[in-house]
Amino acid sequence: MSDSIFNQNFFEIFSQPVSTELDINLLKEKNRELQSQVHPDRFANSPDAEKRQAMQLTSLINEAFETLKNPVSRLQYMLTLKGVDMNGETDTSMDGLFLMEQMELREEIADVRNQANPLDVLDTMTADLKTKSVDLIAGFNLAFQNDELDNSRKIVRKLQFLIKAQKEINEITEQLEDELI
Amino acid sequence: MALLQISEPGQSTKPHEHKFAIGIDLGTTNSLVASVRSGQSDTLPDAQGQHLLASVVQYKAEEIIVGSAAKQNQIQDPHNTISSIKRLMGRGVEDIKSQFENLSDVLPYEFAETDSTVPKIKTIAGNKTAVEISAEILKSLKSRGEKTLGDKLEGAVITVPAYFDDAQRQATKDAATLAGINVLRLLNEPTAAAVAYGLDTGAEGIVAVYDLGGGTFDISIMQLKKGVFEVLSTGGDSALGGDDFDHAIAEWIIKQAEVKSADLNPGVLRLVLHEACKAKEALSDEQQVQINVEFSDNKHWSGLLNRDVLNTLIDPLIKKSLMSCRRALRDAEVDKDQVVDVVMVGGSTRALRVREQVGHFFETDPKVDIDPDRVVAIGAAIQANALVGNDAEGNLLLMDVLPLSLGIETMGGLAEKIISRNTPIPVSRAQEFTTYKDGQTAMAVHVVQGERELVDDCRSLAKFELRGFPSHVAGAARIRVTFQVDADGLLSVSAREEVSGVEASVEVKPSYGLQDSEIESMLKASMEFASEDKDARSLREQQVEADRVLEAIDSAMADDGEEMLSVDERESILLVRAELATARHNATETQQLKDAMSKLEKVSAEYVARRMNASVTKSMAGHQVDEFKQ
Repeated sequence: MSDSIFNQNFFEIFSQPVSTELDINLLKEKNRELQSQVHPDRFANSPDAEKRQAMQLTSLINEAFETLKNPVSRLQYMLTLKGVDMNGETDTSMDGLFLMEQMELREEIADVRNQANPLDVLDTMTADLKTKSVDLIAGFNLAFQNDELDNSRKIVRKLQFLIKAQKEINEITEQLEDELI
Repeated sequence: MALLQISEPGQSTKPHEHKFAIGIDLGTTNSLVASVRSGQSDTLPDAQGQHLLASVVQYKAEEIIVGSAAKQNQIQDPHNTISSIKRLMGRGVEDIKSQFENLSDVLPYEFAETDSTVPKIKTIAGNKTAVEISAEILKSLKSRGEKTLGDKLEGAVITVPAYFDDAQRQATKDAATLAGINVLRLLNEPTAAAVAYGLDTGAEGIVAVYDLGGGTFDISIMQLKKGVFEVLSTGGDSALGGDDFDHAIAEWIIKQAEVKSADLNPGVLRLVLHEACKAKEALSDEQQVQINVEFSDNKHWSGLLNRDVLNTLIDPLIKKSLMSCRRALRDAEVDKDQVVDVVMVGGSTRALRVREQVGHFFETDPKVDIDPDRVVAIGAAIQANALVGNDAEGNLLLMDVLPLSLGIETMGGLAEKIISRNTPIPVSRAQEFTTYKDGQTAMAVHVVQGERELVDDCRSLAKFELRGFPSHVAGAARIRVTFQVDADGLLSVSAREEVSGVEASVEVKPSYGLQDSEIESMLKASMEFASEDKDARSLREQQVEADRVLEAIDSAMADDGEEMLSVDERESILLVRAELATARHNATETQQLKDAMSKLEKVSAEYVARRMNASVTKSMAGHQVDEFKQ
């Protein structure tokens, strides 16, 4: 077992190029391959030190996998590789139009119960958010390739907003579904 | 070239030694042990040919009886004959006290007064903990394994409900240690079932395992591919099972018989439950059954229960389980139509209505090919066999997840999530914290498990203290807390002050807990009470903020209040400070607190500006703060 993995970035761990466009099925495949090598179950009969290392390696692979699997955390991680730390950032300025849109969306979500077919409305919102995310990710690609890091960072911030909105939509969907039972 | 070794039957085949390992399903009602022999995994029977071991332990003055013999003595010797002990694993004294009323019909025991956080049951052989009682069941299974296999056991895989929290898992592992068993791995029951089923059928794709036992319900969504079993999500309800079906039927009987349940003594209640259970089982084969109950010498009732009535009684309970299924699908990011098979596990899935409803929900006929009572033990044995190195191809791999979110208590009683539920394990995550008081050299870290926002609504796992890091001003220390969950789903926590490098570490031991039904309600409640939580959360956040503001002003005043402020200025600040301190304790609205804080902010604005100036001047001159005090 090699410990060089600890010095690799998450993309390198899965032998993938640093890119937003990641083949998720390939990532899953690589993840299974790697885990087959280093999972603690492979070291059930080994000395404690090796068991511990297996646990640490697998923990790292799991972290890398979870980070890359989710598109937004993947973009955020790509920025981290360029030295841009999204956590604890102080510049929280946002594009005014985007904020307005988001506030309207939040209001619509809060008001969805008053709609005739709230679940349909929520489905439409989800579809819209998906389209917006795809556009934003395309924009990120362009900005990131041109090394426009500040612009890239702003796009990731927007995506984080969309994720929060999606989370709210999911929660309300669950509540409404529960009530239907 | 080595000669081929041909051994006599029964003789050891060294050096190609086959190591023996067993799989144990430690159940609420029944337990089983299985092993892989000649490439085939099967449960092991006892000398009488019985595979199931009743999970009942009877303590006598001179001996301990485990299994059906103990079960038969339950009515004569209720205080010394313990059943359903799994329900008490990893539970605290407070849990038992608060739930004793609900459980009194299944747990008619006397609990000893104890200083310990772990409850003890009074028996003729002394006070016994759940861990000790479970260990007796495990010992019995282990010796059955040794007798059948005729060889020294390398170790065992023991299954636990996927929804077991850290304390319950740790208690199970402790029981095994007590029974002298080397635990190769704690394995989630649905995962074990999927292994048995997957290797049996060679199925690939996304599979749901629906596990309805006597007292708990688990649902797991898994991806099966070339011997790799990847759990995508798990969910459940630690207080939902076949026992609840019995209760629903018993209530119906009591209503039909027109007796008041309050008038019934525990003995009669138990009798009604027994009849209810019998009727439930009979209705899997019959369209209707006759039920007879002697409530008392002069009150006899008999009536008919048919399938339709039974269905209306248990449908609400089945629907509850399907709600967990939907949540698990969402967590797995999987659509219903992607699920290729649904595997049924647990005795309660024998109920036809359960199969019907589950099939309807997943839009596929559920798989019931493997005996639902034995499938878990069979899967555990396969895993055990692979772990000791008998799996020649080395393909089998189980990738599991954390069932409940882990977090730590932050100021104001809030739970900050560190690892979310359904994160693949093993997993390690670090979080940085800082001190909030000047000169603070110690901090307590309280680890909780659950989905709710407030610590009080989550299950407390452990508290530990980090001591001895050097004194810093508030906010300057950097304490990095690392959570490591291993492949058994067990947590260890370490903490380190980054500036000084001082380290502390603890193994999380079961501390005490909440009610049995709490885990189930935790997930549910995190949805239902979301808005109430938000209000409470925001008030607490403001209280924390108020504490910080008070700390800061007190510390500043003590430092240089006399030099930098006139008497009048000092008095007016102190007056507003007192108002805030009162509001901190009495305010019920977030806004009241905010107002008090902004008032103090205004009155001390000039003072803050003066201090700022002074400190800028000092740092520019490169001097220490203390030099200016003289």
